[in-house]
Amino acid sequence: MKLKAIFLILLISYGAVVVPFTDYLRNRPVAVKLGYTPDARILKIASADHCSLVAQLAIVKVLFYYGTIVEKFTKKIDLPVEHHNMFKTVNTALKLDPYNMDAYYFTQAAFTWEVGRVREVNAVLDYGMKYRTWDYYLPFFAGFNSAYFLKDYRKAAQYMKNAAELSGDPLFTKLAARYFYESGQNQLGILFLETMRKGSKDKKIQSMYEIREKALKAVSLLEDAVVRFERERKCRPSDLSELVAANILTEIPVDPYGGKFYLAEDGKVRTTSKFAFGGKEK
Amino acid sequence: MATFVNLLSANFRSILRDRIFLAILIVALLFFLLVPSFSLFSMRQVQELAVTLCLSTISLLLLLVSVLQGASSVWRDVEKRYTSSLLGLPVSRATFVVAKFAGIAVTLVCCTMLLGALALPAISISAAQYPSDIPIHWMNIIGAIGMDCLKYILLSAVALFLSTVSTSFFFPFFGSVAIFFAGSASQEVIEYISGDYGKSLTPAAKLVINIVYYLLPNFSAFNLKVAAIYGLPFPFKGALYTFLYFIVYTSILLCLSVWSFTRRELP
Repeated sequence: MKLKAIFLILLISYGAVVVPFTDYLRNRPVAVKLGYTPDARILKIASADHCSLVAQLAIVKVLFYYGTIVEKFTKKIDLPVEHHNMFKTVNTALKLDPYNMDAYYFTQAAFTWEVGRVREVNAVLDYGMKYRTWDYYLPFFAGFNSAYFLKDYRKAAQYMKNAAELSGDPLFTKLAARYFYESGQNQLGILFLETMRKGSKDKKIQSMYEIREKALKAVSLLEDAVVRFERERKCRPSDLSELVAANILTEIPVDPYGGKFYLAEDGKVRTTSKFAFGGKEK
Repeated sequence: MATFVNLLSANFRSILRDRIFLAILIVALLFFLLVPSFSLFSMRQVQELAVTLCLSTISLLLLLVSVLQGASSVWRDVEKRYTSSLLGLPVSRATFVVAKFAGIAVTLVCCTMLLGALALPAISISAAQYPSDIPIHWMNIIGAIGMDCLKYILLSAVALFLSTVSTSFFFPFFGSVAIFFAGSASQEVIEYISGDYGKSLTPAAKLVINIVYYLLPNFSAFNLKVAAIYGLPFPFKGALYTFLYFIVYTSILLCLSVWSFTRRELP
């Protein structure tokens, strides 16, 4: 009888504690940290014949971390992003398993637009091309980076030719010819982002591409409106609000990165967000 | 011969009755059920991740079985004084050691076949969820699993040899684990010192590293996982050399084990 009473008291105590306890856990501040990854040489020895698995685990760790950053961003929570640590971790993974496609795909997705490390990304892609000799995605990514970011059209054409040969799809050579010389950079960017978004099954990465695509479409819309304004008025608008006043646009589109579009001195449409997650990084 | 077969069969059955062995096997079987879900963590290589997970699971299980059984079998028999009663019968010490090894090797082969048979449907289901650009190279996967099996039979021979010279369980257990890691990294180290780093080493240090390299079993040669995961051309010539290396190295270890055990004083 005594034991039953003690047990009942404990059960009631559990009920009294568990509610505030779980409430605390649900609302505690979450530390979004990538953490430390040991040197590739040490990992290679420690992982013995599990190098591919360890590399994939490192990539999954980066993906979860980055996914959390994107998720927080969509909820209007700005967090500093450990870009350097992410790049280091992905590079470590590639030293363990130079065939890992997730690593190349993520490198292209996260370190070009966000941090502008295009030359480093292309170096990683060049490294991957030595191993994934059948894969047209890597020269496709490198070709896009060369054209869009580095404006090195000759190099871009070489990469796209390589991608066309590997895939047997003439789309890549058409891309090189048509978009590099005839279309604007934004159109090339939008097309690339569409291809990347459709090729990903990860919802958070897709969401990241959607945000980027939306931003580029807004810039494209604004730049077209500026051109129309110049054609009609024979002068440049001093401010983007003039486009609305001239009835060319009904409103200034919203920057999905949370910044504000403005017309820069060089005539380009820019934004205060610099199209980066986690604030004003570039 | 009949004595050898009887001993082998008795060893095999005693391993199957081992609770730790059964627990490890059940965990591995459960893990295969989770492979299709875990492989979805990948963005672009679901099939490749499924193959990686399956091969790593098989490899890890075989590592545990080979080290635990190899390190404990002779030690346990000596500790429980089975050897005294058994070797009082007309059974030579050589037959006893070789039958011990054969029992572990047969267990490893059976485990490999069972886990391999489970891995193949797990890979098929995962690959069907998100087809890869690379077709599944079944022969490469089977080849990689087969080479893994040989590797862990060789490791069990290392553990058995250490257990014939040791009176404790810990030395053969930790010794074989250390040799496994050293043998898996030795090729990397020798290639590293062949490069620029090697120029900064003294000739004596290089000689020592080379001697250790040839003494240790080279486990990295048995690792064909990358060819299986990414469908690279299967290195048939390399696999043949590795097989011959396995036969010779394992035979040497068995000879040493027999020699060591015949000289040992038993309680």
